Amino acid sequence: MTAPPAKPLWAVGSYADEHGRPEPWEISHDEINRDIGVATQVLTELGVAGGRVLWCSMLSQAGQHWPYVCGTVLAGAKLSCADSTYGEALRVSMFLRLMDYDAVFGVTPALLDGLDASGRAPADVFGGVRIVGAHPGAYERLVAAGLTPWRVALCGPAIAIGRAPGGPAYVPEGEWELADLGATIGITARQPRATTFIRTPIAVRGTIADGGVVPDRVAPSA
Amino acid sequence: MPARDATYFNTEIETMARADLEALQLERLLEVIPIAYERAPLIREAWDAAKVHPRDIRTLDDFRERVPFIDKDAVRRFRDERGDPYGGLLCVDPADLTGVGSTSGTTGDPTLVPEQWGGPLREPSIITRDLWGWGVRPGDFVMLVLFTFRGPTYGLFQHSLQTTPILFDFDPAEMERFCELSRQYRPTAVYNFGSVLINAVKDVCDRRGFDPRDVFSSYVGVTFAGEPLSPRARALAESWGVELYEHGNVGDVTGSFECVAHDGLHAWEDTVLVEGIEEDVDGRRELVATALNNHTSPLIRFRSDDIVRLSTDTCACGRTHVRMWPVGRKSDEVLVDGLSVLPLDVWGAVESVDACAMGLFQIIRTARDVDRLRLRVGYASDWSSKLDGVRDGVRAAVLDATGTEPDVELVPNDALLRLGPPHKIPRVSKS
Repeated sequence: MTAPPAKPLWAVGSYADEHGRPEPWEISHDEINRDIGVATQVLTELGVAGGRVLWCSMLSQAGQHWPYVCGTVLAGAKLSCADSTYGEALRVSMFLRLMDYDAVFGVTPALLDGLDASGRAPADVFGGVRIVGAHPGAYERLVAAGLTPWRVALCGPAIAIGRAPGGPAYVPEGEWELADLGATIGITARQPRATTFIRTPIAVRGTIADGGVVPDRVAPSA
Repeated sequence: MPARDATYFNTEIETMARADLEALQLERLLEVIPIAYERAPLIREAWDAAKVHPRDIRTLDDFRERVPFIDKDAVRRFRDERGDPYGGLLCVDPADLTGVGSTSGTTGDPTLVPEQWGGPLREPSIITRDLWGWGVRPGDFVMLVLFTFRGPTYGLFQHSLQTTPILFDFDPAEMERFCELSRQYRPTAVYNFGSVLINAVKDVCDRRGFDPRDVFSSYVGVTFAGEPLSPRARALAESWGVELYEHGNVGDVTGSFECVAHDGLHAWEDTVLVEGIEEDVDGRRELVATALNNHTSPLIRFRSDDIVRLSTDTCACGRTHVRMWPVGRKSDEVLVDGLSVLPLDVWGAVESVDACAMGLFQIIRTARDVDRLRLRVGYASDWSSKLDGVRDGVRAAVLDATGTEPDVELVPNDALLRLGPPHKIPRVSKS
C-alpha cells in the first residue's frame, strides 16, 4: 500500500537496491512514528528491558535504525550508538570494556577488521553479550570465533533481526513482506508509506524461510 | 516557533544584555554546583582537595577564583583507577539513565557521556538558534552528513527546527549522492562538512559534469567542523559561492557556531560558562567550560586543551554571547629544536602537492620536544608509482612553510581516512 507523501517529510534516507547502490527513500512522520512503535515491540519481545543495547549503524541508514534507536529507550533499555566502521572498533570495544551490554546489534565485517587491527579478539569483546546481532559477512566470522550470533540484515528500507541465535532474521511482519524473486529478494510495504515498495528488489541475497531471511553465507575476504 | 522573518530564533536570550546574561548564568550555576558536589565523586574530591564548598560560591567571581579545574586525563584516571565507567561525573542513579553516548575520541580513548533523553527540554539552543540565524526555516531540506555516536540528538533537526534532513555518512564515497540530491531537493544547509568532503565534491563534479555552483545554489550555509578547513578546500568552496560556517566544540559541554557576521564562533552562554585561562601575549587562552543545564553529568571548570581567543563584545550580528576564535590544541604542538609546529602549519604545504590534495596527514608526536618533524601523509592511489617524487615534494613544501624539513612516511589516503571518528582524523599520532 502506498500514499502520497505528506509534507514535510521526516527525512530522506537511503536503501541499497538489488545492485547494492544507494537509492533515496522519502520517509513520512506517520510511518517513522509507526515504525518506532513496532521496533519497541520487537525489542520488548527480545527482552532487552533493563539492560544496555549498543546499535552499530551508519547515519545514511537512520531511516531503518531510528525506530530501533528510539525503541530501545521506549522498551526500557539503555542506548548506546556507534558507527559500524573500521575506525569505530575502538569505540565499540570501549563501550563493551567499561559496561555490560545485553545486546549489540549491527556488527559488520568492517568493525571486525578494526577489532582485528587493534588486537582485540571478537570472543573477548562480545563474549559476555547475550545478543550479538551481526550482518552477513560478520555473522560467519563470529561463528568461526566460537560465538553464537543472531542474524541481522538490512533488507532495503527495513531491518531484519533474528529471534534466536542461528535462526532467520525477520522484518516486522505487519509492515513489510519479503518475497523470493529468483535471483534477488523483493520487499513490499504492507502499510502506507511516502515511497512505494512493491516487490522492490533489494541488495540482500539469501533464502526466505518461515517469512524471514537467511542471508547467503559471505566468505571472508582475503 | 518564531515568525519566519525573525532574525533570531530566541531574541530575548540571544541578544540579552551581558549583565542579565551573567545573572542567568549565576542562577543556573548555583543550581548545578551543589548537585555536582554532592553526587559526582570526581568533582567532590577536586573541591575538597581545594578546600572549596558550594556554599563558598555566591558570585561568578567566586567561582572563577576558587573552583578547581578538571580535565579529560582526570576523568580517564578516575575511570580507570576506580572502575567507574562515568569517570566520577555521574550525578544520577545509573538506572535512571536512558543511554550512554561518548566523546569523539580524537585525543585517545573516548569517554562516556551519560544521557537522560526525553526529559523536560529547556529552550532550544545549539544548532537550532545557529541555523535559524543563517536563514534555515521549517520545511527546508537540510543535508545531514554525520556520525551516529551522539545517539538520537540529530532528531532536533525534525523537531526544534522542523526541517527535513537528508541522511548521509561522513564519507567521500557519499558525495556523488550528495551532489545528485542537492540538485533534486535543493536543501538550504549542510551539517556537517570538511576538507575531505569538499575535495570529493570537486572530483564528483569533474567526473559527472556537474557545476558545483549549481550544486550549492540553494544553500544559505554549509557547516564545517571537527577540524579546521584546509586552505585549498576553503578556496574551492568559496569559488563555488558557498557560505561557510565554522562549528567547534566547547570543552565537551556544547558546541559553537559562526554567525552571519563570520567574526568568531558563538557559544550559547545560557547553557555554558566559558572562561579562558593562562592568556599569552597574543591573547590566546586555554578554553575552560562549565555546563549550566546538565544535571546528569555536568563538567565543572573543564580544561579543554583547546587554545582560543575570546571576546564578550557584542557581535555585529547583534548577539551578546561570547565569541571564540580557535587556534589549535595544546597537545597537538611539537617543538622541533625549539620551533613550534601545529597541524595547521603544515596543512597547506601538504595539500599543495597534487598527490596529497586531500590534505590527509598526521604529525608523529612521540614527545612534545623532538629533534625532527615526522609526518605520515596520505596520497591518492593513482600516484602510487611516483612516490619518490611525492615524498620529495612534501618535504620541500613543508620545509618552505615551517622552516624544518620533515621525515615523510607516505600511506594511501584510505589508510588515514578509516582512522577517523569519522568527521576528522587524528592529526597527531604517538606512533
